[in-house]
Amino acid sequence: MPHPLLLRALSRRRLLIGAGLMALSPLGLSSAALADGPWQRLDAAGDLLRGTTPATEGLALELPHVSEDGSAVPLSVRFDASLAEGDHLAEIHLFATGNPYPEIASFHLSPEAGLPEISTRVRLNESQQVIAIARSHRGETFATARDVRITVSGCLMRGDDQGPEPLANPRVSLPERAAAGEPVEVRTLISHPMETGLREGAGGETLPRHIIERFTVTLNGEAAFTADLHQSVSANPYLRFHLSPTEDAEVVFEWQDDSGESARHEASISVS
Amino acid sequence: MSHTELVAWSGLVIGLAFGATAQASGFCLLRGLNHSWTTGDSRKLRAFALAMAVALLGSQALAALGVLSLGGALYLPPSASWLAVPLGGALFGYGMVLANGCGARSLVLLGSGNLRSFVVLVCLGLSAAMTLSGLLAPLRVWLEGATTLALPARDLPGLLGVPAWLPALVLGGALIAWALASRDFRASPRDWLGGLVIGALVPAGWLATGVLGFDDFEPVRLATLTFIAPIADALQYAMLATGTRLGFGVSVVAGVLAGALVMALVRRDFAWQGFSGPGHMGRSMAGGALMGIGGVLALGCSIGQGLSGFSTLALPTFAALAGIAAGAWLGIKGPLTLSNSTST
Repeated sequence: MPHPLLLRALSRRRLLIGAGLMALSPLGLSSAALADGPWQRLDAAGDLLRGTTPATEGLALELPHVSEDGSAVPLSVRFDASLAEGDHLAEIHLFATGNPYPEIASFHLSPEAGLPEISTRVRLNESQQVIAIARSHRGETFATARDVRITVSGCLMRGDDQGPEPLANPRVSLPERAAAGEPVEVRTLISHPMETGLREGAGGETLPRHIIERFTVTLNGEAAFTADLHQSVSANPYLRFHLSPTEDAEVVFEWQDDSGESARHEASISVS
Repeated sequence: MSHTELVAWSGLVIGLAFGATAQASGFCLLRGLNHSWTTGDSRKLRAFALAMAVALLGSQALAALGVLSLGGALYLPPSASWLAVPLGGALFGYGMVLANGCGARSLVLLGSGNLRSFVVLVCLGLSAAMTLSGLLAPLRVWLEGATTLALPARDLPGLLGVPAWLPALVLGGALIAWALASRDFRASPRDWLGGLVIGALVPAGWLATGVLGFDDFEPVRLATLTFIAPIADALQYAMLATGTRLGFGVSVVAGVLAGALVMALVRRDFAWQGFSGPGHMGRSMAGGALMGIGGVLALGCSIGQGLSGFSTLALPTFAALAGIAAGAWLGIKGPLTLSNSTST
């Protein structure tokens, strides 16, 4: 059995080697260093990655560096790496690490969702890191993170506004025509308070959670784009995404909230 | 052109018109109050009153015709601080006296070669940003939170329970009648034309942000002429332009500066001016800082609340205006008059 002092010397040497490797890593082991991203500290992200090491190139988050209105921070997520023939990006998940509930939204894309580029508006209650994790149909994973600073709101004296009528007035902008294989931009907006369940009303009582949980877009009855929304999505959820239908399609947009109510909007698009 | 670019360009045009008109006509609330209280010459004050009336009637007409709804304006919050708004107005009014002009006036003077105004504007922008989102912001949030008051109504017509056209016509008519009652004012086209044009720019601003900026999915925030937050934003934009989107307020500020410069050159009125000494400079700096802090607390400056806020008939506007007038009185005639007060 080695002498205790020797053991200590050994472990110290191991430490030194470790430190040396760490110092090298930004140059020599960059992929390993990058894979060690903030998503590793997020349990939900671990479930999504299922042990894979996500690529850090290809997925990009766009958020203002500094935002003075944390109740509606514009967010865009874009994927522009190339995937193997026949594969497509199937899921994008967004997290706000500093929010009481980190999940922001999960998007599920079919091949007919075309270009993986999605915009929405989110709630960020403090300066924090926003994380996006994406997964392709065949299981390739991608991750990225962005720091956002939230300042005290510039227009603070907005009191407890009467929220909008839930699920009222769905608005959709969808071109009437598309060229086959060319993605078209779709923008949707619907009135909804997206009440978090964490806020107090004027009388001090906690306002119950009331949010849109799911937004679905179908092309001729087939799901093309779905979004699972959480409390961190801003009131009056706004979503910009893409569709690339291969043939003339009846497009149905449906919003479902957690009280069982839903709203629908139907449109059609002709493909040439 | 996207709707946000359209709004930014129209802000520039409105700013150019404001800058040129204010440079040529000497439009200034402080000068109006000062002349009226010290020499009895009320032409400048009547020009401001005329601008208030035109802004009010024009904006209320747009709302009545259903062209736009003023309900989204910042001046019409469901609750306001009973302390911050009048206190902010008073700080702004006193600061305006110290700095020898409000924020908008300082932009116009800078365009005419007055370098003192540059110092005022930097102090104003810095202190406004500090109060909005910086070191002083927690204090502001605490103050507003401790003194917040749910308003019985959002605007004057709501409070009185009458249709909006009634107080608009009565107040607008009274202001016009008072302005035109003076023979001196009627005989001074420079003043009444100035008041008329500047007043009309307020509804033009509502149109730019509320109609040109209308978009179902990404609406532009409803706004019109105001100068405190926009001066702070303009300083920030100068430093962070590559990562920031140009908004209405910042393009108005740029337009005012450019419009005043062009008009000063055309009128051969451009002259470099500096401080006479450190006391003078300190006074201007303090004035700029007070205007920045006060303008944020009061939700607007002499133009922002005096013309734009007034055009919505919002209740807090009346408290802010009373504060501005009280602060200006303290500095011009009251116990806080500084001995080396230089008249404009």
